[in-house]
Amino acid sequence: MRTRVFQILVVATLVVTHARAMIAAEPASLTHRVDELIEAALPEFSQHASTDCTDAEFLRRVSLDLTATIPSAHDTRHFLDDSRPSQLKRSEWIDQLLASPAYARRMQYLLDWILMERRTSENIASAGWQTYLRQAAAENRPWDQLANEILVETGSEPKTRSRARFYLDRDFDLTVLTRDVGRIFLGKDLECAQCHDHPVVDAYLQRHYHGLKAFLNRSYLFTDPKSKKKSIGEKAEGVVTFTSVFDDTTGKTAPRILDLAEILDPKGTDKQYVTKPSKSARGIPKYSRREQLGLAVTSEQNRAFRLNIANRLWAAMMGRGLVEPLDFSHPDNPASHPQLLELLGDQLHDHAYDMKWFLGQLVRTRTYQRSSRPVDGSADIANTHFAVGLLKPLSPEQYAWATMQATGVLSAARTIARKQLEDQAAKQKAKSNKKPDGNKAKEPAKTSESSANSSTSAAPPPAALTISPQALEMAVDKALQGHVTTFVTQFASGGGQRTTFSATAPQALFLVNGELFRGWLKPSSTNLTGRLSKLNQPSDIAEESYIGILNRQPSVSEQAEVAEYLAAAEDRTEAIVELISALLLSAEFRFNH
Amino acid sequence: MQRDHGCHRIDHSLSRRGFLASGAVAGVAGLCTPGVAKEIDKKQKRVLQVFLQGGVSQLESWDPKPGTLYGGPFRAIPTSVPGMHISELLPHTAQRMHLLSIVRGINLKTNSHHDGRLFMEMGRRAGEFPYMGSVAAKYLMPNDAPLPGYLHVTTRGLTDDTHAFLDARYGQLKLAGHKVPDNLLPPKTVSNDSALRSRALLKRLNTRFAGRGGQKSFIDSYNASFEMAEKLMARRALFEGEPSGQDLDRYGRHSFGRNCLLARTLLENGGTVVKVTHHGYDTHAENFNFHLEQLGEFDKTFCMLLDDLHESGMLESTLVMIYSEFGRTPKINVRYGRDHWGSAWSIALGGQGITPGAIVGATNTDGTEVSDREVDGGHLFHTYLQALGIDSTEYHTLGGRKVPIGDPAREPIGELLA
Repeated sequence: MRTRVFQILVVATLVVTHARAMIAAEPASLTHRVDELIEAALPEFSQHASTDCTDAEFLRRVSLDLTATIPSAHDTRHFLDDSRPSQLKRSEWIDQLLASPAYARRMQYLLDWILMERRTSENIASAGWQTYLRQAAAENRPWDQLANEILVETGSEPKTRSRARFYLDRDFDLTVLTRDVGRIFLGKDLECAQCHDHPVVDAYLQRHYHGLKAFLNRSYLFTDPKSKKKSIGEKAEGVVTFTSVFDDTTGKTAPRILDLAEILDPKGTDKQYVTKPSKSARGIPKYSRREQLGLAVTSEQNRAFRLNIANRLWAAMMGRGLVEPLDFSHPDNPASHPQLLELLGDQLHDHAYDMKWFLGQLVRTRTYQRSSRPVDGSADIANTHFAVGLLKPLSPEQYAWATMQATGVLSAARTIARKQLEDQAAKQKAKSNKKPDGNKAKEPAKTSESSANSSTSAAPPPAALTISPQALEMAVDKALQGHVTTFVTQFASGGGQRTTFSATAPQALFLVNGELFRGWLKPSSTNLTGRLSKLNQPSDIAEESYIGILNRQPSVSEQAEVAEYLAAAEDRTEAIVELISALLLSAEFRFNH
Repeated sequence: MQRDHGCHRIDHSLSRRGFLASGAVAGVAGLCTPGVAKEIDKKQKRVLQVFLQGGVSQLESWDPKPGTLYGGPFRAIPTSVPGMHISELLPHTAQRMHLLSIVRGINLKTNSHHDGRLFMEMGRRAGEFPYMGSVAAKYLMPNDAPLPGYLHVTTRGLTDDTHAFLDARYGQLKLAGHKVPDNLLPPKTVSNDSALRSRALLKRLNTRFAGRGGQKSFIDSYNASFEMAEKLMARRALFEGEPSGQDLDRYGRHSFGRNCLLARTLLENGGTVVKVTHHGYDTHAENFNFHLEQLGEFDKTFCMLLDDLHESGMLESTLVMIYSEFGRTPKINVRYGRDHWGSAWSIALGGQGITPGAIVGATNTDGTEVSDREVDGGHLFHTYLQALGIDSTEYHTLGGRKVPIGDPAREPIGELLA
């Protein structure tokens, strides 16, 4: 345990120093300007604004938002006991989270939700896609680059095939793709402009829909006759025309993004192929319209691209988009804070679409760090003006990881994963040592065994040090993937990123009676139930359970409530299980607050 | 019109494959035996909604036009109401039209699945309003109701926010067809007493958390999910066990038959609003074959359910609605399909508060427009609620705010109200 914390801290400190230097260099930080704009948007803002959240609220909130899980009991205590000024320790904690491997995990989930919208895996294995996103997040790959990679991918090269999931698991259905490119990358749902100018939204025109479609309409789903693998082929001809079902006006369009200029095919490329499409060969044109889509969507001129991602990331941190619904941006549905949205989009663009930097800025704002308790009588106005911290339902993934963290499933899995990696590392070391010098073979195995608990041993650097935090977390992911999938199946409402919430009876039944969830509560040597069962004092049980599950100290009356609860029970272990169950099922746990 | 092989909204796609597959899956249905119905409180008003998803063709159902330009191949047949004819695809229903009435002049002015469905459910063209089922649950459901107030038996899991600003306990609970909901059994290791105490503690925790503020609708929805779960657990027996062979013979062994048997059980056991969805009417291609097949399944099954409600005496206190999000174009397209058509179509109603055997409204000779007594989703919404004795011109009161129950610019179809 110690070793791990130490490792994370080392990595974190390095990055912290680096990040600090960057922030200090900026004249007026984005953080500061966000708060100014939010507070200027409502007269007498301060009257309606909630106070700063507590350290405990902050710790839980930001850990969920940046690493998809709640902090461990150990980290919670450490943070709450830290007597340095709040702002200092908060800022350090943010740096630490952003530098941790779990940040990449959170971003992997968020990007998957945004891009795949809970679609089932059909043509591309989900694991490869998740690995691709994870790696991109770990490298902090810029959003425009990511978007471009996904939009130009054909799926024909094994090395990059996973990226084609965006297209292939939509079966390269032209209607679905045209709509989803508009929604996911531009924040505009143009579907109802397919057959006529949008009936309700004046600014969504039929030519917008068909301009997007023209990037894609020459492409098609190609099935390799031998491997049966699907990929995307493209023809070197085909035009998009459209007729309004209302007034029979017709139009014809080359590829174009909204009202930007049409992108005309270069001369002499009509019907020119690198590979002519046939039953056995994937069509490759000399000039690909689809390749232009990635460039055009992410281009400097296309402001919708930057505003969309700024709005989506804002919504993920703040609980509501500046534009809501997130895919319905148009003049009659303006942003609640238009100037702010422009600023966020431009800053993201100017920082080369660095999402990690952007999120780091957002969570440092006063706006983000406000209490979720509204000022009396101001709840409604505060909700719409970001003057109070909004409740955010945990995403299915956050819910899974938070539950596994609280119950001890996570730390048990991590212990096993570390042991396995250490054993592997030891074996490998033994192998490589054997070659030059056979008699050293035994040593590494010995140290790895002793390294788990002993810090006093003067043995040579333990094998554990060769295990990167990233590798460890990947191994933990692999071990717990099944549970995360179960939570996604159970708790994901269909469709893409949104900030609404609706709970169902089947979900409640899963929590109350489900075998998986109940199994985590059975006492074991490694879980929370086991830990609590060893405590004698009701006040210790109250403290440990509140810290471990809700990441805060229980109040005096809550301590009394726990004591009373335990005193009235016939079977103590059963009572502890049910106490944990109640805390896990509480609304306080279900929401990020 | 150029269209990319059909609109692909999730509620839009015609799924013959999905439909056939779901029919082929045999499941365990738990249904009570007849006789229970005798003990039912006849004063309790209920709603049975049969939703024909995708948009049933009015020309192949309630408003046939044989021998006209767009009439299609099917004939009209006489019904148990002298002078009333419906499509020959509904022979069983035809014999029971003295229990039902038809509204033939519906014009929604939209051809979108999404907008049409919301207009038919909310009685409003736009905005966030509760579905009729949630409104009915709110005003009809007794405090001690044994089941959640608004149950939807469907083989597809579209998520609808049906309660809008009403309390989340009036939101729709979806049941995945007739299969027994998962996780209904409490863990064996927990004593009853212990489970009760844990639940009481949870309630206290959540009341405290709600007291600190935050979006009320989130917390309400979360709490309501546990309330509903408790009710389902307590009535587990309703979902278990196989329906009798006799019932299966009558209703059919396909999933719609089993779903309707479950609907009957739910209504007999204290369900307030029960909706059953029959999927697969979005017939952009092969309209006639599909309607032959789909309505063939609907007709007999629905009539068995109607008979059972009638014979047990429940029909007079149960509003029955057979509806869609819209109808289908008179014009037949090149694929022998009919497309979306909200401009002149029909629904059928019966039971509680409805004058039976009536036809209200009409379309012109070719069925291309409404020629008499045009109504829309707003009029229908008022009519459903008035039939249930709910004054739809009144207001929902929400804290200090008042929201008209029905659209104040619309009124009920008076001639339909008994």
